[in-house]
Amino acid sequence: MPSLELTVRALEYAFYAAGAFFFLAGSVGLVRFPDVYTRLHALTKSDNLGLGLVCVGLAVRSGSAIIALKLLVIWLLVLVAGATACYLVAEAARSAGVKPWTREAQR
Amino acid sequence: MDPVLTALAAFIMLTALLGIWRIERGPTGADRMLAAMLFGTTGVALALVLAEAVGRGGLRDAALVFALLGALTAVAFVKRAWGAGD
Amino acid sequence: MMTLTSLRRFLVRWIVIAAVWWIISEGDGSSLWLGALVALAAAALSMSLRPDGIPGLSPLGALRFAGYFLVNSVLGGVDVAMRALKPSMPIDPRFVSYPLRLTDVSARVLFANTLSLLPGTLSAQLSGDTLVVHALDCSGDVIGEIAQVEERVAGVFGIALAEASGGAV
Repeated sequence: MPSLELTVRALEYAFYAAGAFFFLAGSVGLVRFPDVYTRLHALTKSDNLGLGLVCVGLAVRSGSAIIALKLLVIWLLVLVAGATACYLVAEAARSAGVKPWTREAQR
Repeated sequence: MDPVLTALAAFIMLTALLGIWRIERGPTGADRMLAAMLFGTTGVALALVLAEAVGRGGLRDAALVFALLGALTAVAFVKRAWGAGD
Repeated sequence: MMTLTSLRRFLVRWIVIAAVWWIISEGDGSSLWLGALVALAAAALSMSLRPDGIPGLSPLGALRFAGYFLVNSVLGGVDVAMRALKPSMPIDPRFVSYPLRLTDVSARVLFANTLSLLPGTLSAQLSGDTLVVHALDCSGDVIGEIAQVEERVAGVFGIALAEASGGAV
């Protein structure tokens, strides 16, 4: 019995570690990527995955179906809000004439 | 309190702090908006982790509100702050 | 006049919204009566905004899409994370113009938002029948990949699409 508990705990922590990794990757992309459009890629995809993984870990920990469902609702809301915000910012940047970075332009 | 949750919360906070560098550098308003979006997502994660760490379910509702505000800030930014919409 | 179909539609929306309330209240029964009232108002509002619902939407198609989306959004996160963390930062970004085959507004919105969460693509502008997509790495067949996502989205709404006509870089 304790070994099952231990396995569940290990699984929970693995989700946290994976989630933390994607939060870090998202922020590194925000710092390293060369223009607003590429940075949007990092933010929308990596951070949303990081949040999803943390939510799975928290759902495992809570051991409650209703809290797991609530975490799912919150994650879906962040996904929709994030994708919409991402589109709005990209379109605003394009309309304002922010030039996209290209590899050739660097040579 | 589980030290793993505390460490996770601290780590997420540190990744959010990298956003300040982007606010400082810009160069455009849209780039700074990205940092606000980053704070939104990490804020939701922080509230959810802390809800479990300190056993306060109400923090999950705070996370829900952060998620909603995230969408509104982007709309406000496009319509007002940057003036690109009109 | 309320027909039987719209009455059924109204009840389904009421139940779905009330269920979401119940989830958000974490199963607290004491506020359920208030939730039922708020859900009733929300269902009424949604009926006045979209009386016909989304035509062709099938539960099975939506479920299949959810699975596809889940797997590929994880791949999207992994892909961009690797590009951000690798010292060589392997990106070769470009804007591509994609001629939309989807005409329904709901389907287009779902398509544009989905693209932004899948590997290497980001919706940047929807004007007329063209979707401008920012591709993180244009070395592959970006247009072909976008067309595949569009077909998946069409499947949710039971729409049949014409052969892909290709886009421009």
